[in-house]
Amino acid sequence: MIEVVFNIPGPLREFTENRSSVRVDVKDGANLREALLVLFAACPGLRDRVLTESAEIRRHVNIFVANEDIRYTGGLATAVRAGAEISIVPAISGGITQCQGMVLRSYH
Amino acid sequence: MIGQTLDHYRIVAQLGEGGMGVVYRARDEVLNRDVALKLLAHGALDKVGSGHLLREAQTASSLSHPNICTIHQVGQTGDDFYVVMELIEGRLLSDLLTTTGLSMEIVTRYGAQIADALAHAHDRGIVHRDLKGSNVMVTAEGRVKVLDFGLATRMEREEISEITLSYDTLESKLVGTLPYMSPEVLRGHKADHLSDLWALGVLLYEAGAGRLPFRGNTGFEVTSAILSEPPPPLPPSVPHGLAAVIQRCLMKEPAERYQRASEVRAALEALQGAVLQSRHPSEETRGPRTLVLRGMEHLTVKNRDVLLLVGTNKGAFLLRSSRDRTKWDVAGPYFHGQGVYAMGYDGRNGRHRLWVSTNSLMWGTFLRSSDDFGRIWTNPLEASIRFPIESGAALKNIWQFCLGRADEPDLLYCGVEPAALFESRDAGESWSLIRGLYDHPQRPRWMPSNGGLFLHTIVPDPGKKERMYVAVSAGGVYRTEDSGSTWQARNNGIRVVFMPEKYPEFGQCVHKIVLHESRPQRLFLQNHWGLYRSDNRGDSWQDIARGVPSDFGFAMLMHPHDADCVFILPVESDEFRCTPEGRLRVYRTRNAGGSWESLERGLPQKGAYETVLRDAFSTDSLDPAGLYFGTRSGKLFQSRDEGKSWKKILEGLPQIVCVKAALIQIDGAPGSRPKPKPTAKRKTPRTKSVRRGKRR
Repeated sequence: MIEVVFNIPGPLREFTENRSSVRVDVKDGANLREALLVLFAACPGLRDRVLTESAEIRRHVNIFVANEDIRYTGGLATAVRAGAEISIVPAISGGITQCQGMVLRSYH
Repeated sequence: MIGQTLDHYRIVAQLGEGGMGVVYRARDEVLNRDVALKLLAHGALDKVGSGHLLREAQTASSLSHPNICTIHQVGQTGDDFYVVMELIEGRLLSDLLTTTGLSMEIVTRYGAQIADALAHAHDRGIVHRDLKGSNVMVTAEGRVKVLDFGLATRMEREEISEITLSYDTLESKLVGTLPYMSPEVLRGHKADHLSDLWALGVLLYEAGAGRLPFRGNTGFEVTSAILSEPPPPLPPSVPHGLAAVIQRCLMKEPAERYQRASEVRAALEALQGAVLQSRHPSEETRGPRTLVLRGMEHLTVKNRDVLLLVGTNKGAFLLRSSRDRTKWDVAGPYFHGQGVYAMGYDGRNGRHRLWVSTNSLMWGTFLRSSDDFGRIWTNPLEASIRFPIESGAALKNIWQFCLGRADEPDLLYCGVEPAALFESRDAGESWSLIRGLYDHPQRPRWMPSNGGLFLHTIVPDPGKKERMYVAVSAGGVYRTEDSGSTWQARNNGIRVVFMPEKYPEFGQCVHKIVLHESRPQRLFLQNHWGLYRSDNRGDSWQDIARGVPSDFGFAMLMHPHDADCVFILPVESDEFRCTPEGRLRVYRTRNAGGSWESLERGLPQKGAYETVLRDAFSTDSLDPAGLYFGTRSGKLFQSRDEGKSWKKILEGLPQIVCVKAALIQIDGAPGSRPKPKPTAKRKTPRTKSVRRGKRR
């Protein structure tokens, strides 16, 4: 078995007991898909946020294994090595400021 | 530790860390189940001795109660002591409390469960000794589980006097425990069942008031407050009955407290019966996990109020008013940053449940509900609406939420993108894809419209259970006569401008269909170009666009009491999707499409290039009916006189995509328990009123 570390983005930490990283053990020679399955077993709630029901990584979620975007390293088949850091990162942080900065006005 | 095995427990991941040690998620390789394994810190053992701890844990492992975390095994390998416990999925009560969002109903309900757990343990001679928010978990189903019974180390007399005289900052391990300690324990008495009841009082106070009753920067200050100061008055949001229970738990003199945990439980259960909103539905029907929204003012909704659900592309807002509909309280944004395209209120069968779909660009689409008007929402671990894996499809958005007929109170529908219909027959617990429509041979030839390929309109026939209509952009109208097993395209007479064949069997870009329950055979339809009526359940359609500035538009609304009266909000064209001439006008027919008239009093008639989307138009069904619509530019308009005159009630919202009005009926709903009058002395915090808020 080898240990890998998942870096969890803020919006998903409600499913990791607020931890920013989660260590999991995977079998030697595992790929990203297998590592994700271990992570999802440890932290239910992450799976449906990271993958669609057809088991594809959501379009606006990027995953990096050791700083490499897995879209260029074989996707879910990307191999993970012992001690690898795997980062789940939202691709773009779509405009919540519009809402936070808004002012409600009333007319009576 | 991860990956190591203790006895037959394989450690999978770390769950948390506390003063007593580290808690791991582990796999019981023999019984093939997941468990929580607490590996005790060496220091914790030195002080009390391993034999003592083992005895305590063994005694505690005899407890079997739904509100107590079960201890499966206590073990030792080498120098390591560990306790194997039931794995509980949920959140710590202490975490829920810091979000300041627990309603008093929930506080009361959780309190009764904790009291029940204490009663069970006390009857067996087991005292908790360290009850606090971080030792209580709330599971996915809303059930309380008290952790670490009998595992708390006993404090020696010297240690206690050290704390009470400490002028230093609190030691970290005491920060969590000291504020819950009772006066007699601080004086050096042994902790007993009455000191557990004190701790329960502290916990209830904290949950009710959002802060601890006895506070200070040093151990000395906290101890002084516990020993000699009365707890500060509870805020008015805590109902009188709950405040009385808390006060009695916090009597300095143990003999003046409740003498048994079962008495506290009985008192809290009696209060549960008296609260207005929460009793029904129970935690069993709650979603798998809950979410309390932080730092937000919530609505206090009373019987007979009018509720407006407003969904925008960046979050949802809730508005309430009494039936005069002159003053609105506003709460939100809920789920800010996420698109809320479908909303609904289910008041059937004694429920008071809000439903929203939340669509995050990154993290997907989830259906959530709230049984307390927005304080607490379900936060499902798994998406309840999902395409079967073999379909290869993935949910993009939920566009429509629709209740089944009144006589089928557990029936719900959702229309989604990619175009499909989902159904729940258990009030939203589980959902399934309607295969009859999804497998329809014409479906592969449906074409995406401007907004995608989605099912946005669901119209159950109020007269016949098996009949229902749906509309798909762009697939057209489909009707079932057999509860969804088979579907027929029903677009005869509806024109298509974007295909060479102008009247095809299907492929129309229908925007909305409405009907009146008193004449279910007659339908009205707003098309992508074209206004239509069918007098034969959709078998054929005739053009009724006479006297409107444009027959393009999205929203269409049926008058709640007049089957001949329909409202629309025309926009200029598919290229210029704004109100014609910069004038915001509602059009009304009162003769089933024979003629249309403009309703514009109070609406801007100059430079108002607005768009009202298909689900952003609603009525409250009062008499006279209130009408409501929201614009893409974030303005919300209201009419209290069926459209004769209008006023703007809000602006500055994100793009409004959904407006739904609902009447709240708490008394006498069929199937509901008798409930107290809303005049019961129930004080909850007022939300910010719009009138008292910022003015232009």
